[in-house]
Amino acid sequence: MEMRLLLSLLLAGLVSTVAALSAQGSKLLVVLEDESEKSRYSQFWTDLEDRGFQLTYRTPKDPQLSLFRHGEPAYSHLLLLPPGKGTKGLGPNLTPNLLVDFISAGSNVLMALSGEQSIPSAVSSLLLEFDISLPPDRNSMVVDHFNYDSSSAKESHDVLLLPGKNAGGSKKGVADILSVDGILALPHAVGAVLGNASPLLNSIIKAPATAYTYNPKEEQEGVEDVFATGDQLSLVTAFQARNSARFTLLGSVEALQDAWFDTTVQHSAPGSKSEQAANRAFAQKLTGWTFKELGVVKAGPVTHFLNEGSQQNTSDLTTLSDINPSIYRINTEVHYTIELSTWSVDHWVPFTPPASDAVQLEFSMLSPFHRLNLAPTTTPANPNASLFTATFTLPDQHGIFNFFVEYRRPYLTNIEEKRTVTVRHFAHDEYPRSFVIMAAYPWITGIWTTVAGFVGFCALWLYSRPEKERVELKVKEAGGR
Amino acid sequence: MAASTTAPTASTASSSPMAFFLQGETGRNTRGLLRLIILCTIAAAAVASRLFSVIRFESIIHEFDPWFNFRATKYLVNHGFYAFWDWFDDRTWHPLGRVTGGTLYPGLMVTSGSIYHLLRFLTLPVDIRNICVLLAPACSGLTAFASYLFTSEMSDSPSAGLLAAIFMGIAPGYISRSVAGSYDNEAIAIFLLVFTFYLWIKAVKVGSIMWGALTALFYGYMVSAWGGYVFITNLLPLHAFVLICMGRFSPRLYVSYTTWYALGTLASMQIPFVGFLPIRSSDHMAALGVFGLTQLVGAAEYLRSQLPSKQFQTVIRSAVLLIFVVAFGGLVLLTVSGVVAPWSGRFYSLWDTGYAKIHIPIIASVSEHQPTAWPAFFFDLNMLIWLFPAGVYMCFRKLKDEQVFIVIYAVLASYFAGVMVRLMLTLTPVVCVAAAMALSQILDTFLVASAPTENDADTKQANGTPAGANGSIADKLSSALPDTLRSTKSPLVGIYSYLSKSLITGAITSYLLLFVLHCTWVTSNAYSSPSVVLASRLPDGSQHIIDDYREAYYWLRQNTEPTAKVMSWWDYGYQIGGMADRPTLVDNNTWNNTHIATVGKAMSSREEVSYPIMKQHEVDYVLVVFGGLLGYSGDDINKFLWMVRIAEGIWPDEVKERDFFTQRGEYRVDDQATPTMRNSLMYKMSYYNYNSLFPAGQAMDRVRGSKLPADGPQLSTVEEAFTSENWIIRIYKVKDFDNLGRNHQDATAFEKGNKRKKTSAKRRGARVLRVD
Repeated sequence: MEMRLLLSLLLAGLVSTVAALSAQGSKLLVVLEDESEKSRYSQFWTDLEDRGFQLTYRTPKDPQLSLFRHGEPAYSHLLLLPPGKGTKGLGPNLTPNLLVDFISAGSNVLMALSGEQSIPSAVSSLLLEFDISLPPDRNSMVVDHFNYDSSSAKESHDVLLLPGKNAGGSKKGVADILSVDGILALPHAVGAVLGNASPLLNSIIKAPATAYTYNPKEEQEGVEDVFATGDQLSLVTAFQARNSARFTLLGSVEALQDAWFDTTVQHSAPGSKSEQAANRAFAQKLTGWTFKELGVVKAGPVTHFLNEGSQQNTSDLTTLSDINPSIYRINTEVHYTIELSTWSVDHWVPFTPPASDAVQLEFSMLSPFHRLNLAPTTTPANPNASLFTATFTLPDQHGIFNFFVEYRRPYLTNIEEKRTVTVRHFAHDEYPRSFVIMAAYPWITGIWTTVAGFVGFCALWLYSRPEKERVELKVKEAGGR
Repeated sequence: MAASTTAPTASTASSSPMAFFLQGETGRNTRGLLRLIILCTIAAAAVASRLFSVIRFESIIHEFDPWFNFRATKYLVNHGFYAFWDWFDDRTWHPLGRVTGGTLYPGLMVTSGSIYHLLRFLTLPVDIRNICVLLAPACSGLTAFASYLFTSEMSDSPSAGLLAAIFMGIAPGYISRSVAGSYDNEAIAIFLLVFTFYLWIKAVKVGSIMWGALTALFYGYMVSAWGGYVFITNLLPLHAFVLICMGRFSPRLYVSYTTWYALGTLASMQIPFVGFLPIRSSDHMAALGVFGLTQLVGAAEYLRSQLPSKQFQTVIRSAVLLIFVVAFGGLVLLTVSGVVAPWSGRFYSLWDTGYAKIHIPIIASVSEHQPTAWPAFFFDLNMLIWLFPAGVYMCFRKLKDEQVFIVIYAVLASYFAGVMVRLMLTLTPVVCVAAAMALSQILDTFLVASAPTENDADTKQANGTPAGANGSIADKLSSALPDTLRSTKSPLVGIYSYLSKSLITGAITSYLLLFVLHCTWVTSNAYSSPSVVLASRLPDGSQHIIDDYREAYYWLRQNTEPTAKVMSWWDYGYQIGGMADRPTLVDNNTWNNTHIATVGKAMSSREEVSYPIMKQHEVDYVLVVFGGLLGYSGDDINKFLWMVRIAEGIWPDEVKERDFFTQRGEYRVDDQATPTMRNSLMYKMSYYNYNSLFPAGQAMDRVRGSKLPADGPQLSTVEEAFTSENWIIRIYKVKDFDNLGRNHQDATAFEKGNKRKKTSAKRRGARVLRVD
């Protein structure tokens, strides 16, 4: 990982010095049904190439198409445009199992769908593995009679207009990475329903409360058993695997087309003005997030040391004599530091958690004994990372403990740093001596009084013992035997 | 045995050169020298008979507990004494760790450590492993010597001590725990036990502080070496108490008992594991009580000697009784209020054999805690077991203080040996001593070549020189029989006929020879297997070694991270720690029942239940022992019910023993097995892929003798990492969490190409909405 990162950095540095670079790699594979489709997205390709990505275009049937090379991912990123009409899947080189393996190997995937084309079953079953369900009706799309573009979809109401600032949710404590100014146009979007259990899933753009899925080809007046409605429908979905590989499902591929980059749209609500769609900015953010330009956090060195004696309150870690020891004693004070940095355009900068959120340290054995908020500080000595520190007293319990920093937040890569240390009991010579303890004085006095008494008694006994009687006694005893 | 032939016949004045060596001062020296040579030979025989395991197999540590002792000894030798004393072991009982330095009996390790350093000092660098392997045989030589001393205190017969020594040297009951490689606490503890008893008898006989202090010293050593020291702690007070009750209180008893108790208790409190137990636990209260009683009785005796008034004596007596009752009541009160710890569970299980099974399955599950089968007595002691009552009877004939000790010891030890197989070990010394006394009596009577002469006893008494063995028997008899009858005043006893002499002697000789044969046979066939390495016979009779344990442990050692945690049933904890050098969750120390129950629960539950437990405990590998292929009956499926029972003790709602039995109450592993059984992690890991060894539908478990279901179990949360040659050890790796956040069943199904079924909205019932 490190190596690849370094290599990609080097490569990226050589190739271009433009706006943004992925923290992971620049090789991007684009799978589209037909070469002819390529021209419809020319602005999008240019944007990506400007940001340093090396694009490779393949069709699903291309024999050269392979996600892996020598067992390693051949590309860092994959962009899947919707397969053509009538195809059952994405072809033998893009089976769901291969795509899952590709993600498990750490690569990122952006999958775009379109309501215009029926969705193959292979895609549905792949998405089910991420706990994303698509409507059983393969031709349905999301319509909304209150938030449509009155200029292009006056009749069909299937071009949704949504505020860009809501992208990525605007929840407290969640990093604001994907929001854009302006209004987004999502034509012919496929709405997905996200499973309730998976913490890895996040909806970037939810449908408005008045939206629902509808198959225009059925030409019915009303829908009886609707698949999902309102904000249960996710139009753009983010999935970040445990290994921080990212998978994005874009419900509307048309939103990336040149036609929708430049167009002006007008919200159906009365009195709204027509304005330029913010699709281009959003596409940049969305690909930026998926392809690890945004929201990438990494952990640097972890240090912990005994905050006692000569090492107390050390600020310069290089002066420490015993850093990251493997064993501590109970009830001692310990200092813990972790370096966190985040990727900004083309270099690492100090990471600061979003407002009202904190990086936490757990000191745990089976269950946490301490859960502490780490305080971020930056030092001029290290301009690339911020130090998160905590000082605390170890619990009064011996065992094998972990310093555990687990920072999993929506849209940020996962941080999981575990350092195992042993916490031992007091050694036999580490207790305070008895003469230090005031309460022990009566006992000490007792001991020495007894000793003195015994010695005194013996002395008295020996001094006062009559010599004559002893001889007699001995004779008597011998006789008795 | 040969010793009895050295007994000279003083009455026959011979002028042969032999007579010079056999009579007078020189004769005494000769006999002493012979005795020494015989003792050395006995020690050599004791050591030699324990070397079968080294010759048959190799110089290897045996079984389970010795592996921990060996590991601890290595730690001691490598890190020094103080590091050992303060040792916090972070490689066992993960993640709790174990304060090993404070929870073990260090005597064994310190002994071998000292020997190691002594040999190095003498420029004899011997591998610590060889010292550990050979410590037990070396100590058995000393035990033989100690039992010689002990028996010599009991009997006047010159042969009794030597007989006891050789019995002790080769009795299988003791060999079972002291063959080469059996590096356990008992290895040195039995020597210390016998030697402490000898010193105690000496102290009671002589009544000297020195012997009492020596008793305390060796008692302290014993405490540092074995938990069985409680036996001494209760036996010596019982002896003293019985003597007091018999009205045999004497200053000798007072001096020896108080010296032993005061110094011995202080010595025992120096062991961290014992600490304040001698004054806090019920097991030790008898010693304290008798200590108080001796003070009271001593004071009363003193007062009585000063104040001859009869009334005053009764007052004193009633006062003694009253104080005793009050003290006893106070003790009971303290126990009830919790200041003094109540009897431990192990202690209760000594009185009620069913107690442990109900309340503490962890104790009952150990094979050596089972009640003894009757044939075991004969197996372990052979002819000694029928000589034993005769010896005890002889003690009654001459019931001095030391004979009382033997009687008490015999009664207690026979009871305990009947309750627990393991305590056969404490019975063996007293059986050897008693049998030697009985046998020496027979030999002394029948092995005298000359017929007794009818000279009257008075002349002998006047001469002051007892006329050989016959005379001494007559003396003994006359002292034993009451003096009331004239005919018994100088009884004439003896064996006159050479025929009966040779008949009895021949019979005894053949018994002894049979005994030696039996001991050798038992030692070589029953007690010399290291159990780490299994031996079997090939059709052509040659020995075939089954080395699966070591194969698997070395696989772990070489192929896993040094910090990889291994979960297995506790039986294998010490071996994994010792041979594979990997952290374990539970081991044979069994100090934390809950932790063992956790492992039991993980083994006996479904995968979905076990997986979170294993992840929480950071388990990397799971090790199971499976004997189905080879017919090795000591495997985990056979131990499985104990895991279930122990887990049920903590989680009665989640693990139920009944669910592992079929409707008809059978414990089955074939297709009749209950779903709980077949879904348990242990069952799945044992039989995973086992079908592939056989033609379809022919899979056979050779231990349970049952045919297995055609479809083997499927595993999703663990994956097979290693299976040893004969499938005895199977190691599984615990998978990490699924990368996509699915459960492992789904992930495995997906990998196999099964599409996940979309649950339709109708079947799902009420729609589950996502809440962000």
